[in-house]
Amino acid sequence: MRPVFQVATDRDSAPWWERTGRGEFAVQRCDACGRARFPARAFCPACRTERWHWEAAEPEGTVESWIVNHQAFGAGDGEPYVVVMVRPAAVPDCLLHGGWRAAREPVGGERVRGVFTPGASGLTLVDWEPAGE
Amino acid sequence: MAKRLLDFRDRTAVAGVGYTPFTKDSGVSTLTLACRAVLAALDDAGLGPGDVDGLATHRVGDSAAPTLVGPALGIRDLSWHLDQFGGGSVSHAVVGQAALAVAAGVAETVVCYRAINARSEFRMGGTGRGLPASPEVQYQAPYGLFAPPQQYAMYARAHMLKYGTTAEHFGRQAVTQRANAVKNPRALMRAPITLDDYLASRWIAEPFRLLDCCLETDGACALVVTTAERARDLRRPAVLVSAAAWGGGESHLSGGPADPTTTAAAALAPRLYGRAGLGPRDVDVAQLYDCFTYSVIVQLEDYGFCPKGEGGPYAASGATALDGELPVNTHGGFLSEGYVHGMNHVAEAVSQLRGDAGDRQVPGAEVALSTAQPGYVLPATSALILRKD
Repeated sequence: MRPVFQVATDRDSAPWWERTGRGEFAVQRCDACGRARFPARAFCPACRTERWHWEAAEPEGTVESWIVNHQAFGAGDGEPYVVVMVRPAAVPDCLLHGGWRAAREPVGGERVRGVFTPGASGLTLVDWEPAGE
Repeated sequence: MAKRLLDFRDRTAVAGVGYTPFTKDSGVSTLTLACRAVLAALDDAGLGPGDVDGLATHRVGDSAAPTLVGPALGIRDLSWHLDQFGGGSVSHAVVGQAALAVAAGVAETVVCYRAINARSEFRMGGTGRGLPASPEVQYQAPYGLFAPPQQYAMYARAHMLKYGTTAEHFGRQAVTQRANAVKNPRALMRAPITLDDYLASRWIAEPFRLLDCCLETDGACALVVTTAERARDLRRPAVLVSAAAWGGGESHLSGGPADPTTTAAAALAPRLYGRAGLGPRDVDVAQLYDCFTYSVIVQLEDYGFCPKGEGGPYAASGATALDGELPVNTHGGFLSEGYVHGMNHVAEAVSQLRGDAGDRQVPGAEVALSTAQPGYVLPATSALILRKD
């Protein structure tokens, strides 16, 4: 199992975590140029506008990479666990990470779907499972 | 394009290098390690603390600041100092900034150092250590992802998926570097290894095995940077700083190309070569930041030594061995000499260009590339081109 790390959210990220807590996968969209971005920040990296809105998106993406962790870097039971790197369909110019929720290992490029999971620090995490299995 | 304000190329030089022994438990403070390495580097140059008017380091809350090391050595007035926050990605930036300060005339003799107890106190690999204070951490650590070997393993697998890079490619580079360390009396790991040894080493974070990872090391390394003119009057042959570059470009955060198989070095390399008036084919020896085997593979590509995607086969071909077309990490690198977070790469480059690298000397080496951690999570890196006088 993955170790339990207590992390601090911040003033930029709080709205993202509030939404995952409601089972919502949301992205920030720029009010001026319409570009979606992740993670949460005040300025659009494309047009530098400081106005945005949150928009619910399907928690879908493709597997870009993954690791099978063996070393006990933090407190945990030392059992191997998988972390995936996902390219989200809603924001394809970023990569995000999550736990892997399947008995088999991921396959490069496979389609995955987000799974909302209670985690440390009272946060609701987004893990990933194979789409359509 | 920035306006050229300062005549920099070959105007400064590294006049001395110094080390403490590399161990797993130094038994002393990082302040003591820093002082020992600084004094050793000054002695190598034929100088003393009274000649020093600048000190520079980088650290991540794990070591002694220049404003502590200076007074500890009785240096009463530092006319220039740099306490750069950051890890391996800024290691070469520290030396570059020292050279800039000397070229600009705000200091004449700067000692750059890095002093760490990266095994016995602050474990560089992340084991048992607290999380870094960075906003990105909240999107990774709750999933059990934060240690550098995990991060780089993620990029390594992306490279394997996209380009067909294999474990054998990684392993060949590890074996090559160990063979170099066998010839280096300073190296922590001097027993030869085979590809089978590599493949049999335990998993850390798949696709990385133990022998993909650098050595958590206690130790310090220091370099004396001064003007080229002054260096020519000192004890050792001057090694010229031909170019320094800073930069970054790739990120996995929105706003970057989000290509996990390319590093910030790809954006920096043309700037670095341009400043030196050289290209990759002019490089005789390269010290490429090897926190992990894969970081060597990707930099072989991003610094232009082979086409994108072919770093694995290039390394496995023997090209990076001491007798290959591009000897890489001739001291054994962080994988086998020890990991002083970047500074020992610069010191080895200096040694090769002075021609005093002993059994591991690359004959006729005149131009060396030395590089910092090529960037992960957030894009930043730095690098130097050094030249024989």
